[in-house]
Amino acid sequence: MKNQQTRDILKKGLVFAIIIIFIMAIGFHEIAAALISRIFSVDVKRGSIPEVRFMMYFMGLFAFLTGWANSDKREGAFLKKSTHGLLVSVVAGIFVVLFDLILVFLVNNEIDIREYLTAFSLDSMNFFLFNKGQLGLLYHFAYFVIFGFSGSTLNVLLSSESAQNLKEKTGKLYNATKEKINSAMPPFLKKYGKYFFLLLLAAAAIILPRTWGSYVNFVVGLVGLYVIAGVGLNIIVGLSGQLVLGYAAFFAMGAYSVALLNAAEPHNIMLGFWPSVLIAILMAIVAGLLLGLPLMGLRGDYLAIVTLGFGEIIRILLKSDLLTGFTGGPRGIHDIQGPTLFGQPFNSDVEYVYIIFACIALTIFIYNRLQNSRTGRAWLSIKEDAIAAQATGVNLQKYKLLALCIGAAFAGLVGGISAARNQFTGPNDHSLLVSMNVLSLVIVGGVNSIPGIILGAFTLKGLPEILREVENYRQLAFGILLIVMMIIRPNGLWPSSRPLYEKYNCPEDGEKNVGKERKND
Amino acid sequence: MAEKEKSAQIKQRNLSKIIRPIFGALVAAYVLWRLYTVFIVEAKYGPQVWVSLLVSGLIIGAVYSLIAIGYTLVYGILLMINFAHGELMMVGTYAGYFVFEAAQAIKMPNATDPELVFANAYPVLTIFLAFIVGMGVAAAVGYFLEKIAYRPLRGAPRLIPLISAIGASYVLQNISLLLFSPQLRNYDNPEALSRGDGWKLIVNDLPVNIPYTGVFTLVLSVILMLILLYIVKNTRLGKSMRAVAMDKDTAALMGINVNQTISNTFIISGLLAGAAGVMWGLHNAQVYNTVGFIPGIKAFTAAVFGGIGNIGGAMIGGMVIGMIESIGPTALGISYQLKDVIAFAILISVLIFKPSGILGEVLAEEKV
Amino acid sequence: MKKKVLFSLVVLFALVLASCAPAAAPAEEAAPAEEEAMEEEVMEEEAGVDPRCEGEWGCAVVPAGETIKIGMSSPMTGGYADFGIDAENSGLIAVEDFGDVEGFEFELVAEDDEGGAEGGAAVANKLTSDPTFVGMAGPLFSGATSAGIPIYEEAGIAMLSPSATAAALTEMGSSVFNRVPFTDPIQGAGAADYMFNELGFTTIAVLHDGEDYGKGLATIVKDEFEALGGTVTTFEGITAGEADYSPILTTIAADAPEALYFGGYSAEGAVLANQMKATGLEDALFFGCDGTWGADFLENAGDNAEGSIHANTRKPPASDALAAFDAAYEAAYGVAPVVLSPFSYNSYDCATRLMEVVAEVAFVGDDGSLYVPLADVVAGVRGTTDWTGISGTYTCNEIGECNSEGPAFETVVDGEWVVLE
Repeated sequence: MKNQQTRDILKKGLVFAIIIIFIMAIGFHEIAAALISRIFSVDVKRGSIPEVRFMMYFMGLFAFLTGWANSDKREGAFLKKSTHGLLVSVVAGIFVVLFDLILVFLVNNEIDIREYLTAFSLDSMNFFLFNKGQLGLLYHFAYFVIFGFSGSTLNVLLSSESAQNLKEKTGKLYNATKEKINSAMPPFLKKYGKYFFLLLLAAAAIILPRTWGSYVNFVVGLVGLYVIAGVGLNIIVGLSGQLVLGYAAFFAMGAYSVALLNAAEPHNIMLGFWPSVLIAILMAIVAGLLLGLPLMGLRGDYLAIVTLGFGEIIRILLKSDLLTGFTGGPRGIHDIQGPTLFGQPFNSDVEYVYIIFACIALTIFIYNRLQNSRTGRAWLSIKEDAIAAQATGVNLQKYKLLALCIGAAFAGLVGGISAARNQFTGPNDHSLLVSMNVLSLVIVGGVNSIPGIILGAFTLKGLPEILREVENYRQLAFGILLIVMMIIRPNGLWPSSRPLYEKYNCPEDGEKNVGKERKND
Repeated sequence: MAEKEKSAQIKQRNLSKIIRPIFGALVAAYVLWRLYTVFIVEAKYGPQVWVSLLVSGLIIGAVYSLIAIGYTLVYGILLMINFAHGELMMVGTYAGYFVFEAAQAIKMPNATDPELVFANAYPVLTIFLAFIVGMGVAAAVGYFLEKIAYRPLRGAPRLIPLISAIGASYVLQNISLLLFSPQLRNYDNPEALSRGDGWKLIVNDLPVNIPYTGVFTLVLSVILMLILLYIVKNTRLGKSMRAVAMDKDTAALMGINVNQTISNTFIISGLLAGAAGVMWGLHNAQVYNTVGFIPGIKAFTAAVFGGIGNIGGAMIGGMVIGMIESIGPTALGISYQLKDVIAFAILISVLIFKPSGILGEVLAEEKV
Repeated sequence: MKKKVLFSLVVLFALVLASCAPAAAPAEEAAPAEEEAMEEEVMEEEAGVDPRCEGEWGCAVVPAGETIKIGMSSPMTGGYADFGIDAENSGLIAVEDFGDVEGFEFELVAEDDEGGAEGGAAVANKLTSDPTFVGMAGPLFSGATSAGIPIYEEAGIAMLSPSATAAALTEMGSSVFNRVPFTDPIQGAGAADYMFNELGFTTIAVLHDGEDYGKGLATIVKDEFEALGGTVTTFEGITAGEADYSPILTTIAADAPEALYFGGYSAEGAVLANQMKATGLEDALFFGCDGTWGADFLENAGDNAEGSIHANTRKPPASDALAAFDAAYEAAYGVAPVVLSPFSYNSYDCATRLMEVVAEVAFVGDDGSLYVPLADVVAGVRGTTDWTGISGTYTCNEIGECNSEGPAFETVVDGEWVVLE
């Protein structure tokens, strides 16, 4: 027993030490300190190092979390429970100190290994050691002991019985208050509150874009486009359960349709924005048919790789010498004409945001209608159990293809608007990265959940604009999020009421079952 | 209503029955026409060109085979595509790079050569070390990958581990980007195995270069594959792998530690991918954070082509894909830029016409 | 219902948060330039509009205590990050060297456009919404430039690019775009001429990397070489980012060209140079462009770089200012200039020239803010005549070409760059 526990403590301590060492090795400690510094309203200019005290805050926070995450919540004496976390922190601290010895060695001998490990600049290493050189080791160890103990103790305190009672009481109070407010509201408000609220939203949607500047309009428009794309992909992945990894191909169809029909360069057919967008949607649907017809019978994971290949093929073809006469080749298509309304140009940043908002509203409307229709139920049945669905007479092929084409249509719309807004499109705009981004935002935000998708789009595209320090770490964060989300919250950050996967916990040797096995596909 | 659906379904089936042969005939006709044009009509390239292309194809095919085997092993046992497998290869490439860098930095001056470094004094040892380290690191990463990202998701519907795998692929790519910077690095081969040099084969009075690194790659790949086949067929480890792949619950009942076996599978696939990575570095020189991505996809194509789960199929698939990639554009007379299109087109064609692959699938009956 | 309320609140909150982002310009004043010009006029009509701030683009307004922004747009992440980092380095030195205008300091805002069009458009949108933004010393890459020009044009921001060389950029009819490097047509014609006349080659093969810059250059070389009377045996595109080009090199070798011209960047160029020997092209000369020139190529191609020829900007004449820049660059960044990218001197000069023009036309208003008439900046940059910077002397013509000289060709001897006469 004792041995097992010791090994467990050693292992956990090592893990947390490795995490913080890793953070240092990828240079994230400076970024984390810069973020904390921003919270304290001390801006850090790009490229310069934040103040040391923020590094201390970060280290303290990390040590605190180490203790917190490792407190022993099982039955037992209070002190014993919190010392578990303390011991883990101490072990972590020891390993970190060992790492610090290496740092000190490098710093004192002015060894520059930046050619191999870019984050190990003199400034960066010193910053990690709080600019205190060898004394930094002592600081680190002390931090781990003190903050680790605090974190561990706090966690135990909060999960103790008295704390649980308090939580229950607060919860009851909260519910009671809600009830009171609910019953006190006049029936008029209850009935029409929804509409009043929507009216408010519409007013905000019209007024706000005129006031907050063209840069914010640009970002909001971008987020909005990704929302539409996310909903489109969600129809394919979430509603009908087919994983498609080459979604960007449909963007390309839409973007190039609008571009080729509205630019002077390759063909000089000035068709006009609105008809081109309709054609863009049509072309995307055709592409969906072409992709889907031969491949409907494929297993889920095969479909994923094949659609990925399809996306890449489209991109390569668009860029190739072979089709340059038709598509403009790697140069892309420039000077795409924007929309006009009653003869007047309708292409300022505000006007584009209106177009995008209108499209979002339309998208949400279509999505809701689809989800609650016969088609939506057919998709749900296919996703839950394809064989049973077939047995009850659902035509698998037709519905799967339908989902693919509708999803493609939305992508075509987004591609078309995007091309006109940027006044440019090119083959590199529709790369695998774009497909993965849309997939990530749907999964992380919440499959089958409109608020989730909006949250996901905002996190993907809006946050990096606000938190510009983290732009280098954005992809890493998303990768980690994908893994973590799948393990602890596969239905997304903001799950829908009809989750994708039923989750239940049946601890078997400590393993969590995330979902039942389904003989799908 | 049900009858209408049923007749629609029948119509659908008939439609696809018609579409497939037509599609197949069109593709075959195109290929034949292009081959005729290139070989008979233009006859531009002498046999030494074809031999040279063949050699390149074999070499790159060997690398694809090693990676494909990794995919196939994991798929056979877990029914999931380890999207992050290409990144295991990348890890191996980086690890090998550092070994060679270290070896080239250790100076051992002696009487005849004051500039001698460890890598040139003991080339065999250096290369051996590079492979051990590369394979070891890749295997370790594979082990932890399974433990952290896949094990908690056992039993979940297919979509979920796949997304986790995509996330893992992203994470690995970006970690190496952040650790090692986007700077493109090149392998510093020991002089004994320098790139570009090779035996000269005379074909049609013209020399064809058979690079040393290429032959090394080919020979080592074959050796590793043979070792793997032996392990799978004759050792206890291999038997447990096959048993778990066939039926997890019964295997557990028979006393096989399923978790351990799955871990071992990942370790083996990591070893192979790591070796492929070091070979890639030796032959192709380049080390960067996305080096494993496209070869990974092509290797998966190869695995599917040969029949997923089927180790022999993966080997053959890898060779075939490599050769088609090398000879294809020239033989079909199409632009070289489109060679990836050829690979994907093959994938799609195989999946349409023979989804179980050339040599047939070897799959678990029930998902683990 | 509750969820809808909650989510809409979150959305509103998020949007409000976005609009308050410190990364964006001061929110209260952020407005498109046209509307701002109108507001300016309305505001100043009460106080008497300065005639210099009338017109389509109006003035940039820098309130007291704030800095005048000069922008840069370049790849700062990814495989081409060295270019962007170098540009920012040079720009920072330029800003420091220049000093202030009427007590207002300059600030360099270097943004990452990833070398591509989408990034270029994003950076353009971001910077032009800042009312203290007065000039763009860039973008560096042609792809980002061509997407950005319409946006900068609309906002009236003068552009002076150190390295965007695609021919089409000055043919777009823009009044704000100017550049100092030699253009691709000049480089291509020069390369073709050099190969045909100086080196006496009659058969060459031409490869490109499938991207905008590389393919454009390769096409020009092919056309020019054929116009001179030479033969181009192969014109093909490779896919950038791969490691094995031996198949295509083998097929090229079948025709035994005397040289291989490559339009693209140093990563692919090095791979090609490395594999030429093994595929039967040992006797062919590798002729690259200014995209392949650099320390990267030397390092990755090693011995195989010997004898290859690349294009580069002409070495600027030695001067005190140049020496001072070299010293400052090395001291601040630990690496010599013109190592990370060939455009260090150009970036410095572009930033400096922009700041000079701004200093000439800016004036302090009654409210203590600095007013910079954008139309005057644009005209001033376009009207640059016989201006000498550390990289050379420039005169901008009516379409924005400021450099009429061609490239210098350099070859590799013993691992060092040697200029060919």
